[in-house]
Amino acid sequence: MSKKAILSLTVLLLVVAGLLPVLSMLLKSMVVNCSFSLEAYKGVLTSSRQWKLMGNSLKLASLVTMLTVVAGVPTGLVLEKTDLPLRGLLIPFFVVPLLIPPYILAVSWADLLGRDGLLAHSFGYSPALTNLLFGLPGCVFVLFSIFLPIPILLTTAFLRTIDPGLEEAGRLVTGWWGVIRGITLPLIMPGILLSAMLVFLLSFGEFSVPTFLRYQVYPVESFTQFSAFYNFKAATASALPLALVTLLLLFGETFFLKKHTYQLRPSPHHQGSLRIELKGHKPWVFALITGLVAVLVVVPIVVLVLQSGGLQWYQEAMRRAGFSLVRSVIYAAIGATLLTVLGFLTGYIVQRRALSCWRYVDSLTLFLFALPSTVVGIGLVSLWNTPWTNLIYGTPVIIIMGYLAKYTALASRILVTQLAQVPLSLEEAAQIAGAKWPRRMLFIITPLSRKGLAVCWVVGYLFALRDTGITMLVYPPGLETLPVRIYTLMANGSPQLVAALCMIMISVTVLPMALWLIPQRKGLDEGCRV
Amino acid sequence: MKVVEFKAVSKSYNGTRVLKDIDFQVEKGERLILLGPSGCGKTTILRLIAGFIAPDQGSIEIGGRVVSEPGRIVVPPEERNLGMVFQDLALWPHLSVKGNLEFGLKAKGFSKAERDQRIEKMLEMVGLREYANRKPGELSGGQQQRVALARALVLEPTVMLMDEPLSSLDTELNIRLRREVIALHKSLGFTMIYVTHDREEAFEIATRVMVMSEGEIVKVGSVKEVRNSLTSISPLIPS
Ligand SMILES: Nc1ncnc2c1ncn2[C@@H]1O[C@H](COP(=O)(O)OP(=O)(O)OP(=O)(O)O)[C@@H](O)[C@H]1O
Ligand SMILES: [Mg+2]
Repeated sequence: MSKKAILSLTVLLLVVAGLLPVLSMLLKSMVVNCSFSLEAYKGVLTSSRQWKLMGNSLKLASLVTMLTVVAGVPTGLVLEKTDLPLRGLLIPFFVVPLLIPPYILAVSWADLLGRDGLLAHSFGYSPALTNLLFGLPGCVFVLFSIFLPIPILLTTAFLRTIDPGLEEAGRLVTGWWGVIRGITLPLIMPGILLSAMLVFLLSFGEFSVPTFLRYQVYPVESFTQFSAFYNFKAATASALPLALVTLLLLFGETFFLKKHTYQLRPSPHHQGSLRIELKGHKPWVFALITGLVAVLVVVPIVVLVLQSGGLQWYQEAMRRAGFSLVRSVIYAAIGATLLTVLGFLTGYIVQRRALSCWRYVDSLTLFLFALPSTVVGIGLVSLWNTPWTNLIYGTPVIIIMGYLAKYTALASRILVTQLAQVPLSLEEAAQIAGAKWPRRMLFIITPLSRKGLAVCWVVGYLFALRDTGITMLVYPPGLETLPVRIYTLMANGSPQLVAALCMIMISVTVLPMALWLIPQRKGLDEGCRV
Repeated sequence: MKVVEFKAVSKSYNGTRVLKDIDFQVEKGERLILLGPSGCGKTTILRLIAGFIAPDQGSIEIGGRVVSEPGRIVVPPEERNLGMVFQDLALWPHLSVKGNLEFGLKAKGFSKAERDQRIEKMLEMVGLREYANRKPGELSGGQQQRVALARALVLEPTVMLMDEPLSSLDTELNIRLRREVIALHKSLGFTMIYVTHDREEAFEIATRVMVMSEGEIVKVGSVKEVRNSLTSISPLIPS
């Protein structure tokens, strides 16, 4: 098949997996008894309850965004630019909360601070503490710990693109403080804005944490309408405002950052980049950062380990959810593989501008990633829940479609960054030597992108594995994944069992990450020596 | 016999005309040098011949066949049977020297026996037989240059396009490789279009020189003719 045909098919797949469901949902919500009607929306717009929920959601998302950016950007700066000891090791720790199903952290904090929590058992029950957790402050805190890695990672990634010469030039005339404020921060501003936007949208769309911590937010509404009342029209109508907020923000983003396509190209001279010497500040900066990791990451995990108690709970967990675990791993592996292929082709379209619609392709993937999972999920159901498409709706295929719709943006952006490092001339040399596009892709571009492809697969695997929002809405009966199984068991399972399940979930996430990071690190060290 | 022909070719980037109504022909077997200062459009001409970009106006013929029309690539690069040595060489870093030579032969469907025989012969000619299994990163600058040459020549192209292939080498190596290029050309007899901004290099290699400036051809002729008229155009050519 020709280049154009394959790339067009790629776009078609994205449209079918992501855009069509959303459009179908929109259409169906406006048609009542075969005629156009906005009846369903009237309910949404006139209910004061809905307005209150929307207010809550916006408040929550704004607070989380502010806090993560304020804490994340300096942390990223410190981890990337200073001589802080162990800084390479700290980043993976910060990332763990982002890679596990979000509600796990809420469960853990409830195990610690709740009415029957560990603290209550040891020191007596303190309602004030519990009330703090079950409400806005608790929600903000838990979502903060989950999304903090986003500004940290984007800050470090954008810092790596800065040509050290720019900072050196500034360093000659002013101190580090002046350089960071006057040169470094402005240069990484697109990254900071991007991270703010992502955190806002992701915390805006998150519903498992607020549900568990009993803070009422908007996305819960459409989820409840859908799963509790089977009121599809109401669910759709209340999903639409979510889609609108997402669109609005994305337009804002493209408006402010017209020229940037977030093509992160590590500066070739990056190795020679200047490092800030912390000198006398080292101890307290180190204490601050490790303290942050301890509170946000280590404490919740330790709590879960303590709460899960003995081995018998793990055996019970495997008995009750073993199949879900196996399914989770299989679906995630298939999802990651397809995401890598789709992300590679999409990344190629965007980076090489191989189709004239490349900009729209890029925006579509980002839109779908930012769209709350409930919207994507309800859209998929709306499109495929027909008697003729049971092959999709009644099988795990629909879960995989959900992964592709939601996470292609991640895959694509990783590979755009990778492809930017494969010079165009290498591809042209293959072309002039007589190789048609598939051969060039397979034997030249793919091997040269293998590192990015590996990163993409792992990221795809982790995000598919952690997915709760979409899977919960679309999974065929009896085929639920582990995060969904835990979520349902949370309602009536014993806390020990749930804690054990959460620990199992964390292990299957963190183990592959560790296995993968260790050889990376060795490779890096060797690279430094050469 | 004309191998390549430009007919009133123009090309713009973002509204700036970088080639203005260019007409020229390349004869079979000659060594045509494109000489001109940085930014005058030399690489653009090679990329037009290769088919990586299409002209805005005019047409391009290779072997008497129209390969590019305004805004349209009629024959894609992979079917033009050209060889190209890139400014940055563009050796595939993940393939061995042999792998680099073999890639195009495989793409064109040669049998294993024929591939091996051709590669053997080519590596012999450029003196790299012992290096067949090395990766490009493990070779010196001059050796890499030879691999790039060999990779293009092993396909027996109708035309070789060479974009400042020697500019990154030190003077001594540059001069030695000029001679090797000429020797290779003499023994294989291909047609060659060679881009440089170095006057000495141009005059040593050329059988014919085409001097460019700001997207226009200011002089075409034998080395002698161009050298003689040099005073009038010399401000345009860096030495
Ligand atoms: N892809 C492009 N987009 C925009 N402008 C371009 C592009 N490619 C070339 N140009 C412009 O066209 C003009 C001619 O470029 P070209 O690369 O052909 O010059 P050149 O003669 O090869 O120069 P050099 O000796 O520096 O390689 C230059 O002004 C260049 O900036
Ligand atoms: Mg050039």
